Amino acid sequence: MRKNLSFLGFGMLFGYALSRVRASDYNYIYHMFTGTDFTLALVMASAIIVGAIGMRILAMNQYKGFRGQIIEVNVKKLTKYTAVGGMIFGIGWGMSGACPGTLLAQIGEGKIMGIVTLFGAVLGTYAYALLKNRYENI
Amino acid sequence: MTHWFPAEPWPWWMGGLVIGALVPLLYYFLNTALGVSTGFGNFAKLLFPKTTLSWLNSKSFSSVVNHRFYMMMGMLIGAFIAGRVMGLPVVTIEMGVFSETLQWPIWGNVLWFLMGGFLLGLGARIAGGCTSGHSIHGLANFQLSSLVATICFLIFGAVTVFAIRVFLMGGV
Repeated sequence: MRKNLSFLGFGMLFGYALSRVRASDYNYIYHMFTGTDFTLALVMASAIIVGAIGMRILAMNQYKGFRGQIIEVNVKKLTKYTAVGGMIFGIGWGMSGACPGTLLAQIGEGKIMGIVTLFGAVLGTYAYALLKNRYENI
Repeated sequence: MTHWFPAEPWPWWMGGLVIGALVPLLYYFLNTALGVSTGFGNFAKLLFPKTTLSWLNSKSFSSVVNHRFYMMMGMLIGAFIAGRVMGLPVVTIEMGVFSETLQWPIWGNVLWFLMGGFLLGLGARIAGGCTSGHSIHGLANFQLSSLVATICFLIFGAVTVFAIRVFLMGGV
């Protein structure tokens, strides 16, 4: 339970940050993609740099967690489907003005269309499970 | 004292600092990779509890109310608080320039965002992650698959928005 509450806390921080930096605002995504406002691109770039520095510190600490447990870094394999999935996702990102994290932030803020986007994403995830039944490696 | 309410949005570096720090912090305290989209499988399981599809019956989804569920609930709460701090409307069907420019009837918007969401959910699973899992977590760990995925996300996002401007908004 304590673990779950920690996840709740980190989730709150994540949702709060996404919302405060306006990542959940359709216009900011729209203007990033039209090249007129790069605020969100800067958020992403700086987050990657901060994350990489943090991972470097963990590496210098021999990947030991706070109780000395060994941290296993999740490695996402490159497959022949990675690019295909990325293209499909990109179209969805452009259409909805949201990604999986920011659509949750939209809902929290009170944007009704975020709920619609979430419903679509859940159906999309179910469609993946259907595809997976037929194409093992997708 | 200057008036502080409603609060201004954070500057970009503040967002980058907090969101980026979540990657090592989640590993350090919970040995978990930052990511959101896998959690949509929990909702799919909620929607279709009796599904026989093997992927939805894998170990990741043996319990619907798992750590991903708590994380997603936290995100809703965090954004709720942020929305109130910034004085955003508590309930709105508006979606910025999209709904302002197009003035579509409600069912048109619903269909559009349903479709967009569908592609997000499907694409994230095929690519193996979303903006947080690939673009933030994966790139912070210098993973090639995340670079490929992120480049595709950005190119196709930009192409889609370009198409929206040209074909739907009349080239504004």
